[in-house]
Amino acid sequence: MRYELLIALRQLRARKFQTLLSVGAIALAVMILTVSHSLLLGVTGEIYNITVDKLPHVSVSPEEGEDYIYLYGTLVGRIGSIEGVTAVSPFLTGQASFRFKDNSLNCELRGVVPSQENEISSIEEDMVEGSFQEIEFSRNTVVIGSKLAEKLEVNPGDSVDVSFPNANLLSLRVVGIFHTGSPLDEVLAYTSLGTAREFYDASNAVNGVSVRLRDFNRDTEVANEIKKLGYNAKGWTETDPAILRFIAIESTSNAVIYGLIVVIASFGVVSTLNLSVISAKGQIGMLRAMGAQVSGIQRIFILQSGILGLLGALFGTFAGVLIALAIGQYEIPADPSDVYGSISFIPIVVRFQDIVFIIFAVFLLNLITGVYPARQAAKLDPVKAISSK
Amino acid sequence: MTDESPVIELKNLTKVYQNGVEFRTLDNANLRIKKGEFVAIVGPSGSGKSTLMHLIGLLDTPSSGTLLIDGKDVTKMSDKERSGMRNRILGFVFQYHHLLPDFTALENVMMPLLIAGKSREKAKDVAEKLLKEVGLEGRMEHRPGELSGGQNQRVAIARALSCSPAIVLGDEPTGNLDTKTGDMIYELLRRLNKEYNQTFIVVTHNEDLASKADIIIRLVDGKITVQ
Ligand SMILES: Nc1ncnc2c1ncn2[C@@H]1O[C@H](COP(=O)(O)OP(=O)(O)O)[C@@H](O)[C@H]1O
Ligand SMILES: [Mg+2]
Repeated sequence: MRYELLIALRQLRARKFQTLLSVGAIALAVMILTVSHSLLLGVTGEIYNITVDKLPHVSVSPEEGEDYIYLYGTLVGRIGSIEGVTAVSPFLTGQASFRFKDNSLNCELRGVVPSQENEISSIEEDMVEGSFQEIEFSRNTVVIGSKLAEKLEVNPGDSVDVSFPNANLLSLRVVGIFHTGSPLDEVLAYTSLGTAREFYDASNAVNGVSVRLRDFNRDTEVANEIKKLGYNAKGWTETDPAILRFIAIESTSNAVIYGLIVVIASFGVVSTLNLSVISAKGQIGMLRAMGAQVSGIQRIFILQSGILGLLGALFGTFAGVLIALAIGQYEIPADPSDVYGSISFIPIVVRFQDIVFIIFAVFLLNLITGVYPARQAAKLDPVKAISSK
Repeated sequence: MTDESPVIELKNLTKVYQNGVEFRTLDNANLRIKKGEFVAIVGPSGSGKSTLMHLIGLLDTPSSGTLLIDGKDVTKMSDKERSGMRNRILGFVFQYHHLLPDFTALENVMMPLLIAGKSREKAKDVAEKLLKEVGLEGRMEHRPGELSGGQNQRVAIARALSCSPAIVLGDEPTGNLDTKTGDMIYELLRRLNKEYNQTFIVVTHNEDLASKADIIIRLVDGKITVQ
């Protein structure tokens, strides 16, 4: 064993109380960091599951310069055969003006195959009146968002006039109302692909395809594969970056706050080590006389700081993981009216690579903060140090 | 190397402190010390004895002049080279023993060897032999706090000898001890000097002890006279 490590370890053991205190402070900070990080990972994971779950994971649009995708049947087949794709839904969408009695509103009228669209957006779960499948069974029918229905003052069974410049005027019967709780309730209506074609005058074409994936983290990868087929494709991270931004801000502020706590705990080590430099002046001078280089003296103190940090990080992450897992066992009383009603446990995610990263980062941080007392020790004039009692 | 070539040679060695006024702590010292000699340095307090020891011990740098150790000019060496020379060629005993309080006597004596990069086994063998030599075979596992002043100073002497240095420097090694213990330590140094033929330079206030040395160097106001 190198003499620096030998001396570092021996000094830590000799100062039992201070060592315990330093390790305890770092461990406590690291524990809080670990628990909060696991909670954050769990909660953001849930946010992803709830929000991203209803988004198309990949949206395909026509080639550059084209308005429509023709021969979409082949495309749907080819996308469906891509590894990891679980559902594909072609749609024909555009703007439409809805009129009922004196009320008139513009919104998106989207023609879909209901069974396929439902696999993408699970809209059937959000139906408050009527049936989503009905648009496929009866011609000239529509399912509209709850806010839209409210503003038009329509009820199921009423017929609304739908028009738009360059579109064919149609009268559509409302067969269902959905409520997602999102802004879509005000701006979206569904009809069958056939009805949409009649309205937009686009025979046998669609202008978009929605894709659902088994793993929504692979969106960019799958989008790139679809691009190779000659179409425009974007993953949800590109079409809805706001979700990512929200989670990124949450994660960053979390990391900053708890990172600071760890830094403060590490600075406690600096003051302890500074004191030990002062009290060990004579010994440091003697070590220099015995042939220890300045760098060797520095290493003795950097090692002490690093070891304290490493011990604190190990104990802290260990305790943090135990506590996080215990929190994960806690059952939340069910409340079905809540948006989070489907979650019955506090979401916790303990990621092994993050734990390793925390341990490594705290160790590194303490090696760095150890530089200050190490400098103090190295700056000592050996002549003066030896003359001190 | 013949017996005539000096292990230590001072040529016009000068140390000046500049605190507003110029203070010549060591003034144009010229001196040649041969291998195996036992040198006593005497002089009143503040005459520059410690300054001379620190310069020869490569712990301090001269303001002017040349210092040759083993024929090599050491005044212009890097910290690494000087540290290496302190480790291999020089052994120190100071007024305060400065033993590491958390290590046993044995480990303290092993320390210079560990700094030199020797294995623990090798260091332990050497340290045990030296502690027997200074009469502490029964105290090897004791820490400095469990030993008397004289015993600790003997541990410090064993430590100074552990890397078989060519030169052993003692700056008032008996200064903190009662006369009887001091005499014993001094006898021990003299015996080790005869046994190993190492060069010893020892600062002492005790003229009686000094008279037994091969050479007596008297320092007055930074000026050297050799007797
Ligand atoms: N760092 C320093 N700055 C200024 N003067 C010093 C310093 N170190 C030593 N001196 C002075 O140099 C003189 C010699 O000191 P020293 O070598 O310790 O004497 P001795 O060991 O013979 O008692 C003293 O007068 C002391 O005050
Ligand atoms: Mg002195």
